[in-house]
Amino acid sequence: MLKNTGVPTDDLIKSAYPNEARRKKGPFAVIECFQCIPCNPCQTACPRNAIFPMQDINDLPKTDFNKCNGCGICAFACPGQAIFMIDETYSKMDTLVSIPYEFVPLPNIGDIVIGLNREGKEVCSATVHSIKAPNLCDRTPLITLIVPKEWAMHVRFFKQRREDWSCECETKPASKSKNKSKYVCRCEEISEEDIKRLINQGHTTLNEIKIASRAGMGACQGRTCRQLIMSIIAKETGINPQDMPMVTFRPPTKPIKMSILAEED
Amino acid sequence: MSLITTLKTASVVIIGAGISGAAIAYELAKRGQKDIILIEKQYPSSGATGRCGAGVRMQWGTEMNCRLTKYCIERFENLQNELGDQYDLEFKQSGYLMCAATDKEFNQFKTNVALQNSLGIPSRIIDKYEAKQIIPHINTDHMIGGTFCPKDGHLNPFTTTLAYCAAAEKLGVEIQKYTSVVSIDKKRGKIVGVQTDKEYISTPIVVNAAGGYVSEIARMAGVELPLYSQRRQILVTEPVVPIQGPMFMGFVHNIYCQQTPHGSFIMGRGDDDEPKDLDISSGWNFMERQAKNVVKLLPALKDLNIIRQWSGLYNYSPDKQPIYDQIPNVEGMYLAAGYSGHGFMLGPVTGVAMTEMILGLDMTQDVSMLKFDRFEKGNLVIEPSVV
Ligand SMILES: Cc1cc2nc3c(=O)[nH]c(=O)nc-3n(C[C@H](O)[C@H](O)[C@H](O)COP(=O)(O)OP(=O)(O)OC[C@H]3O[C@@H](n4cnc5c(N)ncnc54)[C@H](O)[C@@H]3O)c2cc1C
Ligand code: SF4
Ligand code: SF4
Repeated sequence: MLKNTGVPTDDLIKSAYPNEARRKKGPFAVIECFQCIPCNPCQTACPRNAIFPMQDINDLPKTDFNKCNGCGICAFACPGQAIFMIDETYSKMDTLVSIPYEFVPLPNIGDIVIGLNREGKEVCSATVHSIKAPNLCDRTPLITLIVPKEWAMHVRFFKQRREDWSCECETKPASKSKNKSKYVCRCEEISEEDIKRLINQGHTTLNEIKIASRAGMGACQGRTCRQLIMSIIAKETGINPQDMPMVTFRPPTKPIKMSILAEED
Repeated sequence: MSLITTLKTASVVIIGAGISGAAIAYELAKRGQKDIILIEKQYPSSGATGRCGAGVRMQWGTEMNCRLTKYCIERFENLQNELGDQYDLEFKQSGYLMCAATDKEFNQFKTNVALQNSLGIPSRIIDKYEAKQIIPHINTDHMIGGTFCPKDGHLNPFTTTLAYCAAAEKLGVEIQKYTSVVSIDKKRGKIVGVQTDKEYISTPIVVNAAGGYVSEIARMAGVELPLYSQRRQILVTEPVVPIQGPMFMGFVHNIYCQQTPHGSFIMGRGDDDEPKDLDISSGWNFMERQAKNVVKLLPALKDLNIIRQWSGLYNYSPDKQPIYDQIPNVEGMYLAAGYSGHGFMLGPVTGVAMTEMILGLDMTQDVSMLKFDRFEKGNLVIEPSVV
């Protein structure tokens, strides 16, 4: 799979993650370096010796999650941009994902960006949480994004959004209208104006906006528009997104065909 | 802190802004009641109401349910006008098709239709062929006959609750969102106030309309209710072009499935192995069981994508009918709960009946059989037609 497409399989990705218990403890480095190449700066860069020594320079690096504290130094050292920091303790809804980003201009903290998966497909919106650009970063700073939990395993890159961008979700049903650019929630065709009007009527939380308008209830289940709506609420009400009440995510994580379930034994 | 604390007072405090609390607040205010406060732990319709199947029907097997739901459907027909057009109630009357799987079920349905017709409900008995005309994608192999009432239908529970709330607010009701009642204050058997997580409100009347949590609220006043809550699961598909007008429902087949005006299909079932508690997480095997059943009975739906599954609480009474009454031995405390799965469609009658009871007015609908004393006297209202 990897050899043909350059995209690692889910199993490979999971093998780079620590166990449940460790994931609940705080940030860690996920090394998605799956091709045996003669390279090891990550291992030598780590100040905590948290990358297992490689017997042969062609070995694949593996994190020792008992030692790793997610400082990010290895990510700065990696020429392949194959190392990401994950912090699943950030909030119930979102995970912090730090991604090496070598493009200019850099985004600003608080910007909403478009999360891309390993294949470069747009999967969700994300918010820039912080930017680390120490001297040792060699012009590849680490950008930390706030990513909806369900997408944290998938978002490994991002692009900045043009002013008129709105979510382009894979799972969206055929659109009823051509004029898409103004929509915040495309699944249900809800515009920024609609959201502002609802906020003015007193619907000041994600859930209330959802029930009054269906924003976020479409096929993407709010995975793509949630952060956009939160940023509009923040702008209109001054409430910090971190203080906003939670929405619950409900199965299935992705739309699933009735017939597929019906065939299950 | 200031030494002079202004005491918050109300004439009525209603706990819970589901369809019940919202309708009660509106009806009370409509009759001129002032100083009403409606308290909601989260936001309107966040409880069972916003999680329900959104179905409204008159095809019941007891005189009482037929009469009360007929009154409600007639109110729904004018509700958009009455409450204003800020929210689209999405009321549609495309009927309910009740599918009989066994002779026993069919015989019951026939008896029900006779009762319904005698009360002016336009239901009728149908055979397989007519069923196929009404819902062309029915697999009639699994049915022997059925009934159909064209005036049954669907109503959006979110917007209906929001519309009741907005209309109540216009009439002066104060709605406190994201506020929980934490204790209830009584003196010599009489209600004197409620304590929320924000303030104390003195009031002579409390209406407990807290849905799945009514027993918790009653306990705050030292009363044990004969009610329990149980999780019910439900799912929704992606929206598609309109292909199914009526609700499809069967008790032996354990299914209800309806396409909403918005295009999505909402469907659910009852599972007896559910625990009797306040758990509303999503179970792992529900989706699969539901999909199997739907693909068998309505095969054309097999290609639909399920986009969300959730659950809510049914609040059961011993005879699976609501209780509309004053709580025994607590003067000033009222209860509207125990709907056992059909409290959304009863919203209008809940509002009117509780209001008239509280204000001592003549009753628009006789609900005297829904008082507490029925359990002691053994006058249960047993309804044969529930999912
Ligand atoms: C899956 C499912 C499908 C259903 N399908 C249908 C259907 O098709 N048709 C139909 O008619 N009925 C249906 N029902 C039943 C219907 O949803 C309920 O009977 C009805 O919504 C009850 O409304 P309520 O206002 O009494 O309670 P709720 O809607 O539960 O409202 C109670 C409110 O009280 C609030 N509350 C609780 N504790 C406190 C506190 N301490 N302080 C302040 N507030 C508090 C809660 O947050 C909640 O919002 C269904 C139910 C479920 C679960
Ligand atoms: S994140 Fe820091 S501690 Fe963890 S492996 Fe990388 S350099 Fe070492
Ligand atoms: S530095 Fe990067 S590319 Fe090199 S071994 Fe480490 S993770 Fe792999």
